[in-house]
Amino acid sequence: MFLASQNFCCHGIRTCQLRTDLLSRSIKHSAFATMPFRHKNTRRIEGLDSNVWVEFTKVAADPSIVNLGQGLPDISPPSYVKEELAKAAAADRLNQYTRGFGHPSLVKALSQVYEQVCGRKIDPLTDILVTVGAYGSLFSTIQALIEEGDEVIIIEPFFDCYEPMVKMAGAKPVFIPLRCKNDGNSASSADWVLDPAELANRFNSKTKAIILNTPHNPIGKVFTREELQVIADLCIKHDTLCISDEVYEWLVYKGNKHIKIATLPGMWERTVTIGSAGKTYSVTGWKLGWSIGPEYLIKHLQVVHQNTLYTCPTPLQEALAQAFWIDYKRMDDPDCYFYSLSRELESKRDRMAQLLKEAGLKPVIPDGGYFMIVDVSTLNVDLSDVDEKQPYDYKFVKWMIASKKLSAIPLSAFCGPETKKQFEKYIRFCFIKKDSTLDAAEVILKNWNKQ
Amino acid sequence: VKASNSLSFSLQAKMSRPVQARRLEGIDKNIWVEFVKLAAAYSKANLGQGFPDFPAPDFLTEAFTRALSEGNHMLHQYTRAFGHPPLVKVLAQFFEKLLGRDLDPMTNVMVTVGAYQALFCCFQALVDEGDEVIIIEPFFDCYEPMVKMAGGTPVFVSLRPNPPKDGKLMSSADWQLDPAELASKFNERTKAIVLNSPNNPLGKVFSRGELGLIAELCVKHDVLCISDEVYEWLVYDGKQHIRIASLQGMWDRTVIIGSAGKTFSATGWKVGWVVGPNRLLQHLRTVHQNSVYHCATIAQEAVAQGFQRELMLYGKPESYFVQLPKELQQKRDWLVQSLDGVGMKPIVPEGTYFLVADISQFKSDVPDAPNSDEPYDYRFAKWMVKNKGLAAIPLSAFYSNAHKNNYTNFIRFCFAKEEATLKAANDILQKWKQEKTS
Repeated sequence: MFLASQNFCCHGIRTCQLRTDLLSRSIKHSAFATMPFRHKNTRRIEGLDSNVWVEFTKVAADPSIVNLGQGLPDISPPSYVKEELAKAAAADRLNQYTRGFGHPSLVKALSQVYEQVCGRKIDPLTDILVTVGAYGSLFSTIQALIEEGDEVIIIEPFFDCYEPMVKMAGAKPVFIPLRCKNDGNSASSADWVLDPAELANRFNSKTKAIILNTPHNPIGKVFTREELQVIADLCIKHDTLCISDEVYEWLVYKGNKHIKIATLPGMWERTVTIGSAGKTYSVTGWKLGWSIGPEYLIKHLQVVHQNTLYTCPTPLQEALAQAFWIDYKRMDDPDCYFYSLSRELESKRDRMAQLLKEAGLKPVIPDGGYFMIVDVSTLNVDLSDVDEKQPYDYKFVKWMIASKKLSAIPLSAFCGPETKKQFEKYIRFCFIKKDSTLDAAEVILKNWNKQ
Repeated sequence: VKASNSLSFSLQAKMSRPVQARRLEGIDKNIWVEFVKLAAAYSKANLGQGFPDFPAPDFLTEAFTRALSEGNHMLHQYTRAFGHPPLVKVLAQFFEKLLGRDLDPMTNVMVTVGAYQALFCCFQALVDEGDEVIIIEPFFDCYEPMVKMAGGTPVFVSLRPNPPKDGKLMSSADWQLDPAELASKFNERTKAIVLNSPNNPLGKVFSRGELGLIAELCVKHDVLCISDEVYEWLVYDGKQHIRIASLQGMWDRTVIIGSAGKTFSATGWKVGWVVGPNRLLQHLRTVHQNSVYHCATIAQEAVAQGFQRELMLYGKPESYFVQLPKELQQKRDWLVQSLDGVGMKPIVPEGTYFLVADISQFKSDVPDAPNSDEPYDYRFAKWMVKNKGLAAIPLSAFYSNAHKNNYTNFIRFCFAKEEATLKAANDILQKWKQEKTS
């Protein structure tokens, strides 16, 4: 049926008709025989299509629902951040491509800020990669350094994307849960700890990396120096990499200090540290993040980047650079946004905790981040008549959205298959919300027990 | 003692393996890294990397500014992961017109971080280890490493020049596929073919007949088509850009890729999209949600407004999609004249903002070096930017390793440049010619 005509034009209606007939017969034949196979997904994304956000953001999109679910601020970013973007928008040269691995003024600003924080020299061109959000940083890191045959340790509960990203890279996620040391009576995120022996057991010759998230989403735990040292010791002993997701690095509350595992002895060489403009400046919609680490690791992330999206948007990077310069200059000043935001959020945290307690719920007060997990089992809401296949917390959140018009995220979305039972009595609230949103939540929580 | 022996063994085993994943093998080199650096250091007239040096249109930049000043501050927060609703809606409306079929903005359209990320999603979603992917040479350089990163095997087929017999300047239309050769590349392992029309670097605009040939083979072998159409609006001389997805049997097997950067002369915004059947796009969505998840909100908002304006002005003389190709055609003709005047033989492009020229007559300036591992045109382009300040890209950068040495007398110029830049290029060329003849 192959038409060997050198002249590609139809010679006349009859020829066209003939070609159409042959063509439609060929379509029918191959369509019937092979189309379902050809249009299947690749193996690397098998089973990775479902996603808690797709499910819950749709449900919570109803404007009558008080949305404390997805982690996005409804407070305004600081005005100087918005102004810098307006300025960048007006500069014509910023509408074209910039340097692939990161806009020069941005990587320079990042290197200055992080040199200050880490106390070591950071080369803006070789030690930093700018990515599409911390999400993009996680992806570049995992694609660059993880492959089939590798195991990656993930601490539960975990930001949900770690597991599918590790799987997409062909590797095996190995889970280890944070456990509440007070036998289930948790008042603080600090109560949730790793068992050192259990952790050590997870490491073996196949362990390529461990993913650390501090401050932790969803619990809000800020890993102490001692806890980080336990992890570091194991990384060094087993020659394991550390992927350190520190997007909430500035959001630590009184009495707590964010420590970068990369600053512990022997760790800089094996750690990729990830940061986020969205979380630093309350601009999640800018989707800019970065990976910082030693050149010999970052260069592989750069290779991934040049083969996936090549460059990040220019005007946003320029605006972010300028915002960083403003705050870099006042890093010794308490008014620096890096510190003022956490003060603002601490009072929201305390308010949220108070409201939840008054409604009979048991919140776990976070030491960092802008999430709070809550034990809802004390309410004894009977959902046994609801579809049993979902964990309790999924059912609870759906019930709460429908009957109380308040949304949250079920914690079992952040767990591996073995621990869903352990975490299904918890739900996660986001409190980086403006006062009117928290006021609306207050009304709901105060009226909770009045049916 | 036993425990520590096994430990040091496992450490040794780990350390003997490279730290990076095998999927990065052979894809670490990138021509732009080197040539962008050279242009930055030496060029007085940069006709190298493909981006406009004239401003993005006012209506677009004004849309961005308006969104910032009037818009809700929630434009600084996450939007819908698969595409900001106003943008996917207007893209669906636009492409419904162009394709003559109904499109659901939620399932037939997805927004990506530039067309680059759209390509990445296609390969990751659709190409498995062992799959073959046909790439037509010369090709935009990222296709090959992306296929490899997905574990696929690139299979190359070259456009071949058939010079006009009447001594006229060659056109990109004179570069054609040999039908028998093309057909021979298809087999049971062929998963997809990458089509780029209008083609970067040649500027070829595939004709209906040529597309028909590709379509027949796709249908016959049940092969997918990844159709990179980022230059869809840049066609000259009254030619028409034909979308292969509109050919019989092709909608169900084609993913169309587009770019706001090229459409609206704002490459730095990095907004792209895919349009296609849900059965294919669902897999691209899976890749997207596991790699970047969201694209920047505010740029999408501004691009949506840009498209809304174009939808209203579609086909009218004030439409940017009418004005831009008109302007660029003039620049094309200017550069053609400029190059022809000095003895570089331009291949007149039917589309895109690229032009390839034959530099055989200039070879004396850069002698052949038989022991060099770099193709001649690489050496020529590097010498030219360093010594003449004129930046261009060697054509062999757009060929597979196996065929790099077949076309080493050509370089690619980008003419999406202001008059002053094109004039500066002309001055350099004129001076160069004078030096040669004196």
